[in-house]
Amino acid sequence: MTATAVPPAPPAPASGPAPSLLVRARDALACEWTKLVSVRSTFWTMLVAVVTPIAISSLVAAAITHAPGRGPQPDPLLPGLLSLEYAVLSVAVLGVLAFSTEYGTGLIRTTFAAMPRRRVVLAAKGAVLGAVTLIAGELVAFASFLITQAVLSAHHQGVSLSRPGVPGAVLAEGILLCVVAMLGLATGAIVRHTAGGIATVVGVIIVPGILAVLPAPWGARIGRFTLVDAAHQVTALHPATNLFAPALSLVVLLAWPALALLAAALMITRRDA
Amino acid sequence: MIEVDRLVKRFGAVTAVDGLSFTVRPGHVTGFLGPNGAGKSTTMRVILGLDAPTSGTALIDRRRYDTLVRPLHEVGALLDATALHGGRTARAHITSIARSNGIGRQRVAEVLQLTGLESVAGRRVGGFSLGMKQRLGLAVALLGDPPVLMFDEPVNGLDTEGIAWIRQLFKALAADGRTVMVSSHLMSEMAQTADHLIVIGRGRLLADTSTEQLIESSARRDVLVRSPRASELAGLLTARGATVATGDDGGLAVTGLDAAAIGDLAAEHGIAVHALIPRSASLEDAYLDLTGESVEYRAAAPEGVPGR
Repeated sequence: MTATAVPPAPPAPASGPAPSLLVRARDALACEWTKLVSVRSTFWTMLVAVVTPIAISSLVAAAITHAPGRGPQPDPLLPGLLSLEYAVLSVAVLGVLAFSTEYGTGLIRTTFAAMPRRRVVLAAKGAVLGAVTLIAGELVAFASFLITQAVLSAHHQGVSLSRPGVPGAVLAEGILLCVVAMLGLATGAIVRHTAGGIATVVGVIIVPGILAVLPAPWGARIGRFTLVDAAHQVTALHPATNLFAPALSLVVLLAWPALALLAAALMITRRDA
Repeated sequence: MIEVDRLVKRFGAVTAVDGLSFTVRPGHVTGFLGPNGAGKSTTMRVILGLDAPTSGTALIDRRRYDTLVRPLHEVGALLDATALHGGRTARAHITSIARSNGIGRQRVAEVLQLTGLESVAGRRVGGFSLGMKQRLGLAVALLGDPPVLMFDEPVNGLDTEGIAWIRQLFKALAADGRTVMVSSHLMSEMAQTADHLIVIGRGRLLADTSTEQLIESSARRDVLVRSPRASELAGLLTARGATVATGDDGGLAVTGLDAAAIGDLAAEHGIAVHALIPRSASLEDAYLDLTGESVEYRAAAPEGVPGR
């Protein structure tokens, strides 16, 4: 460039030496935490996610005890899983919103201008939302376990938390909210549109359930790779024998959000914001 | 300093920026001017690392934006004031962005005060007017006290007082030795704000010059002369080396001689002169001359109104 008039010295940058990775991670987490807790949608979706399973778990348990007595006894841990249905959907929506509202409003440009390493943004949103939904999920899982077992015990169908296999199954139930929140987050980052993102994530969670009606043994052969069947396997006291074992089902369960987040991480840097 | 070098940005078959090169220097308010669709916003997005260039580079103080650590301390930008989550309060919005770059609560309070938003900081931004959103965007741009500032159409939605305030702010920032780049599609606005102008049209550079030089260079500077012996006077003027164009109404548009010389010449020959009016092109005219060929969306001339 040509040396024209000597420009006055620009003001010294306000930052000192380059901050460490740890400090930058803390900055990104603080930013995303502030964003998450400063909108009302977070409060409402988490309220739905926590209150509805606790409120309806006793109803689900009662319904199971009053079901016609034919066929095998339902799994004593099933009511806890079934009561999570609304919570799963509302947390999936919360995950989608984390990115889709930013893309929808254009706020994503301010975010990426402040944090040009976009995968750091994805990781920070994932960590904050993941922590919140994991804590809420475990709280809900144990609370609804206690409630449903109180109802079932009255009919001598309950199980105690000290019984082998029970604590693991309840803990596994607690991660479901986190799993779908991460699936929603990744979907929001990929689809970048609220309505489209919600439709996609709900479809991914629910539609594969249709496979269960395929004639045996295909229903189970394909079904064991679905989120719904994997969730049933890891949260059951007596897992089905025609599906993957609980340990492998846990891998399937975690693979869904992991692959979705991987796809989001690959796509987030390749497209113009 | 912002350096854009042979920048090309294509969106599919559309070339938004077509080999653009320019430098924005510190200590000036540089106007970035062009008709709608000229590629101003795209260029700014590429500078901020938001859009990837098809080819070419855009550097800030010799570095690519995406290599900056805590970039808000280096560059402050306001691209779209309405890009907000309506449910968040002004303070929560600014705080979230501040925290991403390790900027503390005290600075958040400072920029809220500087932009006059203190009293509404606790209100949800969904209810803000466009002018208030512009102020909020400015507050975010100023958060890191950056040496480089970029504003995309910052005057939109501001009232008269707000416009005066923002102009003064830009000048103060430039006087501070900062690099200030302000885009606009309105020449009249830039004439009062910028001392240097970069004019683009259809993604190409049309002019990179000081505001004064732009007026001078594209000067349709002439003198309108009316005289009862117009044709006779025209002959004399042409003989003196002036260029004379005769208008439909018999008025002479004279270039190459100033009003005094024309008056003296007429007096020497005893020719009465009824009007002698020096005319200079406005900045707006200069701009229209420059961009006339490159307007992306042109409205048809209204019926009955002859073109210029």
